[in-house]
Amino acid sequence: MPLPPHHGPSWRLGDVPPPQLSPLERALARVRDALWPPRAVHGAALLAAAVAGLGFAGTLFQATLSARLPTELDWRAVSALIERDARPGDAVALSPMWAERAREVLPERLAAYPESPLVVMAYPRYTRAAEDLVGVRRVWLVSLPRAPGATGQIAADLAARAAAADGPQRLGAIEVTRYDLESPVIPLAWLPDRLASARVSVGGRPCALDAGGVFRCPAPPWVHVSREVREIEYLPRACLYAHPGSGADAPLVIEFPDVPMGRVLRGHTGIVGEAMLAGNAPVRLAVTVDGEEVGAAVEPPRSPGWHTFQIDTTRHAGHGATVAFTVTASDTWQRLFCFEAMTLP
Amino acid sequence: MLPATERHRVGLAWAAAVLVLAAATAPAVGVSRDEGAYFVAAESYARFWRTALGAPGQALALADRLYAPNHEHPGLAKGLYGLTHAVLAEGLGVASHAQGFRFGAFLFAAALAWLLALWGRDLAGRAGSLVAPALFFLVPRHFYHAHPAALDLPVTALWVATAFTYRGSLARRGEPSAYVRWSIAAGLLFGMAVSVKHNAWFLPPLLLLHWLAAEVAPHGRGTLAGRLRAVPLAFPAMLVLGPVVFLATWPWLWHDAGARLREYLAFHLQHVNYSWTYLGTVMREPPFPVAYPFVVTALTVPAASLAAMAGGLAQSAARLWTAARRRAGDVSISDELLLVLNALFPILLIAWPTVPHFGGVKHWLPAMPFLALLGARALTTAGRLLSPRRAGRLTAALAALALVPAAWAVAHVHPFGTAAYNEIAGGAGGAASLGMQRQFWGDDMVAVLPALNEHAIPAARVWYQEASFDAVRAYQRDGRLRADLRWADGPESADVSVYHFHQEFRDKEFATWSQFRTARPVAGAYLDEVPLIQVYARAGVWR
Repeated sequence: MPLPPHHGPSWRLGDVPPPQLSPLERALARVRDALWPPRAVHGAALLAAAVAGLGFAGTLFQATLSARLPTELDWRAVSALIERDARPGDAVALSPMWAERAREVLPERLAAYPESPLVVMAYPRYTRAAEDLVGVRRVWLVSLPRAPGATGQIAADLAARAAAADGPQRLGAIEVTRYDLESPVIPLAWLPDRLASARVSVGGRPCALDAGGVFRCPAPPWVHVSREVREIEYLPRACLYAHPGSGADAPLVIEFPDVPMGRVLRGHTGIVGEAMLAGNAPVRLAVTVDGEEVGAAVEPPRSPGWHTFQIDTTRHAGHGATVAFTVTASDTWQRLFCFEAMTLP
Repeated sequence: MLPATERHRVGLAWAAAVLVLAAATAPAVGVSRDEGAYFVAAESYARFWRTALGAPGQALALADRLYAPNHEHPGLAKGLYGLTHAVLAEGLGVASHAQGFRFGAFLFAAALAWLLALWGRDLAGRAGSLVAPALFFLVPRHFYHAHPAALDLPVTALWVATAFTYRGSLARRGEPSAYVRWSIAAGLLFGMAVSVKHNAWFLPPLLLLHWLAAEVAPHGRGTLAGRLRAVPLAFPAMLVLGPVVFLATWPWLWHDAGARLREYLAFHLQHVNYSWTYLGTVMREPPFPVAYPFVVTALTVPAASLAAMAGGLAQSAARLWTAARRRAGDVSISDELLLVLNALFPILLIAWPTVPHFGGVKHWLPAMPFLALLGARALTTAGRLLSPRRAGRLTAALAALALVPAAWAVAHVHPFGTAAYNEIAGGAGGAASLGMQRQFWGDDMVAVLPALNEHAIPAARVWYQEASFDAVRAYQRDGRLRADLRWADGPESADVSVYHFHQEFRDKEFATWSQFRTARPVAGAYLDEVPLIQVYARAGVWR
């Protein structure tokens, strides 16, 4: 091993100056020295900070919650406003969609227009793709903007479809905004409303209309046709309940005479409730106009949703025609079928 | 060290407080689907034991009939409910029928509070004994479960009691008579636990795992005889006394035991999967999301209490780590492991993707007392470390910060405990927006009883939906619901329809709209504006 040089080490004090730290670097170094290696007191401080922070936040949440939510007086004010200003063609949308106390508070019919129901809608989205909003010209958005879980999504959807908006008008913890839809979907005929004038048969045998407005068929009791509101993928849908008859030789036919035709026949199909996840066979909805099949919709099994179909009826536009729907399924188990259809200009 | 008498005084004070509070707040809590069935079973079982006292032979002949109600669950808790009902409601006449049955449940809640105070004291001194029961009971869903004459809080109390006595037996190995006493107590309490609900059958394997990890593994291998001698007496006590208590308290098994045990096992091993809404999805079939019990816990336990519990788990993990590295002689690996295993196992069990996921937190409720214990110790430790001179004051301040919003939440949500969500979720509204289950068990019916009594026409037919026939009978028996109101099976035959919000049952509500030709409820109960239950009526039947 070589001896060290006799004149001492090969470096001298002062050769390499100590690093010059900025105040920030010195502060960071002090923090680092304080935090590393981790010690029990660090965990204790972290826990205390978390408990204190969340405790304050929790107390604040509880203390402010009631002020973020409407009072009975707020609801009454909204009801009075809508009762006064709404008119036929108006509907109410709720935001958040769970704010369904509105159904209990708002009038179901307007005193000035008792023939026109005021529909209260609770849907997650209101884009054109999501909801047709059939027959609705103006939407009153009743929102709880400061309620926990509130978002502006529904207002944005409606604003995107509106030609004009009036509001928001604040009534306590509730905001009311009126949206005038730019292109309302106003059908020439919405067929569920015409059920009373329809002819219904199963396997060629006529079904009789009872006092409740239900067509009872010469078949098992679930084979009937009625205008109902049913749950399709958790949302309420006004539709014609039309459970198919058994076998391909027992088609269920619903025939609407004198339907004013436009360029399009549009509608939706779906399976009611939990049956959306069951069943083995598709339901076929064939559409004929004056005896000629113009199209068909197929509702596949285990495919939840309110599925849209649209048929070009330009050839028949401007005339009255007989529109018939034939509902069939090769296996009718759990085929709780509902559909709606309308003719559009 | 606190004197033992003070240790027990604090425990008993907690027990008394919980008993009184539960009894005082119970009338507001509705009768759930299961509870209605337990009322019927409890009364029937009480009849058996009353007969057995006078004519044992006759009772034996009646066992099959009197124990037939709700024979899918063992008999102990329902037997106690039958006893308290017989004494308080029928004998002394000092309680309503529901309150009479429920008094048995209040006793279980009180026992749990007492145990938490004792164990909390052992872990963290006086502060521990004060804070641990509060951390558990000031969770809205836990507070709710202190009321119904059901099985979840009772089995939780007995789970904790079994673990407590098992721990006590291990600690007394050097004192032969105390060791035997505590081991026998562990065996008896385990027997009582399985005589309440089947999830207690998981206790012996869990405790065996604890013993293997804490006592056997660290000490290496010995002779077979030595190892057998080292097996804690609590295990043979559980093995022998558990089934004895199980059979003794469940006369249903006294006839045709083999077939009925197989039926009992089959029922629980192939339990139906009820639909359950979770983060916008209705879960119906396995595999279920593993995160479910963790997410639901995180969204239901008040946030600051949750932080304390999580801190307690972290502290326990750190203590185990340092003890394993032989750097902390004062840490009992056995105690730490016992707490951690019991705090995690019930949650992990429900996290298993094929285990049915429903019922909110009740299926992993046995974990929560252990988390409360760990949380109480963590707060006490934080107070001591951060301010050694004023440790008590700082601990009290931290406990207050955690418990004030929790107590507020309990008071705010009561009696809708199954609908409770914490501030992380955004309360009931935030949870509804997240797509969480709004409530379950149908006990929210209690909120619309006054409206039904006041407005329904005489002899109106009511479709109660989620409120079971037994629950409706219980309300009527106590005079809380008019006796003239009749039962309807669906909207077609009903005058009035009571819709309990369940995502999977929405068609019941909409079918009611169609039948009644109205979508406007006539009454409802709302938690932070979120509909829990709404009443619909045909025209002319609502005065």
